[in-house]
Amino acid sequence: MSDLETYRSTARAWLESVAPTFGRDARVGLSVEDDLALGRRYQRAKFDAGYAGINWPVDVGGQGLTHIEKLAFDTEEMVFGMPGGYFGISLGMPVPILIRFGADKDFMKERVLKALKGEEIWCQLFSEPAGGSDLAGLRTRAEVDGNGWKLNGQKLWTSWAQYCDYGVIVARTDPTVPKHKGLTYYWVDMKAPGVDVRPIKLAGGDSHVNEVFFDDVRLEDSQRMSPVGGGFAVAMTTLMIERYIATDSGGFGPHIDEFVDLARHTDLNGKPAIEDGRIRSTIARNYAMRSGLESITTRAMLMMRAGMEPGAEGSLNKLVAVRSRQKLSELALDLMGNSGFAFDAHASVKTDWAASWINAPTGRIAGGADEMLLNTIAERILGLPQDHRPDKGVPFNAIPA
Amino acid sequence: MSILYDEGQRAIASESRRVLDARMDKARLLALLEQTGKYDQPFWDTVVEQGWTGIGIAEDHGGLGLGLIELGLVAQACGAATSGAPFLTSGYGVASALQGGSNADAAALWLPKLAAGEATAAIAFAEGSAPLPLVAATPFIDGKLSGTKNGVAGGLTADVALVWASVDGQPVLVLAELSGATRSAVDSFDNSRLYADLAFAGTPAVVIAQGPVAHALAMDVMARVAVIAAHEQVGGAEALMLTARDYALTRRAFGQPIGAFQSVKHRIAELYGLVEIARANCIHAAALEGVCGISGPGFVTAAAAARISATEAYDTAARDCVQVHGGIGVTWEAGLHLHMRRARSLAIEAGNLFFWEDVLVNELQGQAA
Repeated sequence: MSDLETYRSTARAWLESVAPTFGRDARVGLSVEDDLALGRRYQRAKFDAGYAGINWPVDVGGQGLTHIEKLAFDTEEMVFGMPGGYFGISLGMPVPILIRFGADKDFMKERVLKALKGEEIWCQLFSEPAGGSDLAGLRTRAEVDGNGWKLNGQKLWTSWAQYCDYGVIVARTDPTVPKHKGLTYYWVDMKAPGVDVRPIKLAGGDSHVNEVFFDDVRLEDSQRMSPVGGGFAVAMTTLMIERYIATDSGGFGPHIDEFVDLARHTDLNGKPAIEDGRIRSTIARNYAMRSGLESITTRAMLMMRAGMEPGAEGSLNKLVAVRSRQKLSELALDLMGNSGFAFDAHASVKTDWAASWINAPTGRIAGGADEMLLNTIAERILGLPQDHRPDKGVPFNAIPA
Repeated sequence: MSILYDEGQRAIASESRRVLDARMDKARLLALLEQTGKYDQPFWDTVVEQGWTGIGIAEDHGGLGLGLIELGLVAQACGAATSGAPFLTSGYGVASALQGGSNADAAALWLPKLAAGEATAAIAFAEGSAPLPLVAATPFIDGKLSGTKNGVAGGLTADVALVWASVDGQPVLVLAELSGATRSAVDSFDNSRLYADLAFAGTPAVVIAQGPVAHALAMDVMARVAVIAAHEQVGGAEALMLTARDYALTRRAFGQPIGAFQSVKHRIAELYGLVEIARANCIHAAALEGVCGISGPGFVTAAAAARISATEAYDTAARDCVQVHGGIGVTWEAGLHLHMRRARSLAIEAGNLFFWEDVLVNELQGQAA
C-alpha cells in the first residue's frame, strides 16, 4: 500500500469508529442547535485525532500535510454524513486568509486554534443585495474614523453568520475610482456593537444563510488584511485557495445508485421502472456523465501527486453535476407518483429526492452561478472575449444605477 | 481506472495529429462524398506507413503490442481529421477477436497481414436495426455461411469479415473471406465508410469462437471498437469546438466578435464540458483494457459510458458548430457537414445509443443485484 492509501484507510477506520456518535443516523431528529453542538464536538474530535487543518502549517496547529491528504480525508468523510458543514466555509476560506494576511500573529494563532477545535466559527461576508456574481459592485462602505474605520452597509447570503464569532469582509473605501480598485479587506467581530444578523428562510425551509447589517461598526486598522484599495485581490485569493475541493459527481445530491435502486423498486405500467426505456436512457446518460466527472477528478488527483497543476476541466464538476442532480431529482419524484408527495424539510439532500430537488437551485447559484461558470470556461479556458461591461474603467460613483 | 498519459503516449498523440494535419485535404474528402465505393487512399497509405494498423496487435504477430490507449490517441487524431477510410477501427476489432478467439491458424494467417496493412477487415455483426442481434439470422452450416448482413462499414472492399452467425441456434463468430460473398454498395450520406450489404451463399468461413464464449467475445469486440470509436468522436467533437471558438473570435456582428455574446460563448463552453467528460470516460475505459481481461464487467460498463458521452459530445458539437457559423456553416465548401455526416455514421457503426444505454443499464442492474 502506498503512503496515501495507508493514510486513507487509517482515516476511514477512524471515521467508522466515530460514525455512531456523529454520523448521519446520530443526527436524525436533532434541532439545528443540537446538531451544531454535536458538530462542535465532532470538530474537536477531529482536532484531537489529527484530522483538523490537515494541510495547514504545524506552527498554527495544523498537520503539515498536503492538499492530497486533505482531499483524501474529505472524500472518505463525505460518505458518513458528519455534522461538519458548519465549519466548511470557516476553515475553507476565512481562516486560511487570516493565517496569510492577519497582521497580529498572536491574535491570529489564538483564533486559528479555536476555529480548528470548533470553538469559534468564521463567516465570509462578500455577497450583497447589489453584488453577487458582480462581487466588485458591492456597496458596504468603510470610512476612515480616527485611527481606524467605520463600517456601514448590508451583506447577504452569509452562510452560518448567526452562529459565527468572526467574519472576513470586503468593503468599499473609495467610491471615486473604478469598482475593483476601491475595495479593502478586513476581519470583523460578529459580536461587535452595530452588527445585526437576521437569518433568511430558504425555499426548502432551512435558514443557514443570513442578511447582516452593519451600523457604524468600529474596525481597528489592525483588522485590515489588505492594502487600502487592494481588497479585491485578497478576495480573489480567497476564492482560489482550494480549486479542487472534495466533490462528488452527484452534485451534492443522491448518488446514481439511489436512482437505480428506486427504479428497480417502483412500478411503471405494471413492470419495474428500470425496464422502461425512458428510465433506462436517463440512467445511462447520467451515469456516463457522472463517471466522466469522476474520471476527471481521479486524473486531477494523479496530477497533483505527480506535482503537476490539475487541468482546467476540473471546473466542470459543479456546473454539470448540480444541473444533473436537479433534473434527476424531479424525475425521481415523478416516478414515485402519488406516493412521492411526502416532504421532510430536514431530510438529507444526499438520500431524499424531495430534499435534493427543493434545494438544488441553491447549488446552481451559490459558489458561482452556472452562467458565471460558463463565462469562466469561455473566457479563461477557451480565450473567448469578455462580456460587454459598460462599467469598465468607470469610477464606481459614476456608474449608472 | 484512470491514468495520466506517459511521454510515449503524448508523442503518439502529437505525431499522429501532425502527420494528419499535413496530409489531409478537405477538398479530397468533399469529392469522396459524391462517389460510391471510393475511400481516401492517401489517408489509408498514411495509416499503414505510420504503422497504426499494428498498434493493437501482439509483437508475435508482427504488431507493435500496444493497446487501446495508444490506438485511442491515434483515433482521436483521425476523428479530428474526419478520417478517409473505416479500416483502422474495424481492423483492430477483428484483430482483437483473432487474438482472443480459439483459432490459432486464422490468427497466424491474418494477424500479420492486418498488422502490416496488407489486408483490411470489416465487422459484420448487425442485422436490420439491431447492432448485435441475440440470435443471428445468418446460418453457419458445415463451414459455410448463408444469409445477409446489411450496412457493413468497409464491407465494400475489405478482404475479410468477422461475422456474427448462428449454428443450430447457438452463437458463433466466424471469419469469412469476402471474395466469396456478393457485395452491394450502399450509396450513403458518408460514402468513404464503404457501406455494403453482404450476401453469403455458401461462403466458406472459419470458426473463431462458438457458444456462450462467442457472445462474450462479440461483446468484447463491440466494447473495444466502441472505445476506439469514442476516441474518434472526441477528436471530431474537439475539432468542432475549436473551429466554433476560432470563428466566434473572428466573425464580428453588432460591433463586436460574436464570441462576446453569451448565447454564443456559453454554447461553446457547453461543448467544452461535453468534450472533456467524454475524453475522461475514454481514458478511463482505455486504461481498463487488460486489467479486466475479455469482457470484464468493468470494461464493458466503462466502454458504454465512453460511447454514450462521446456520441452526445460529437452530435452536439456538430449541431452547434454549424449554428455558430450561421449561413456559411451550411455550405458545401465550408465542409462542416463532413463532421456532421461522420458524427452520424460513427454514432451508428459501433452500436447506436439505444444499444449502449441498454448494455450500461444491464451492467448496473447486474452489479446492484
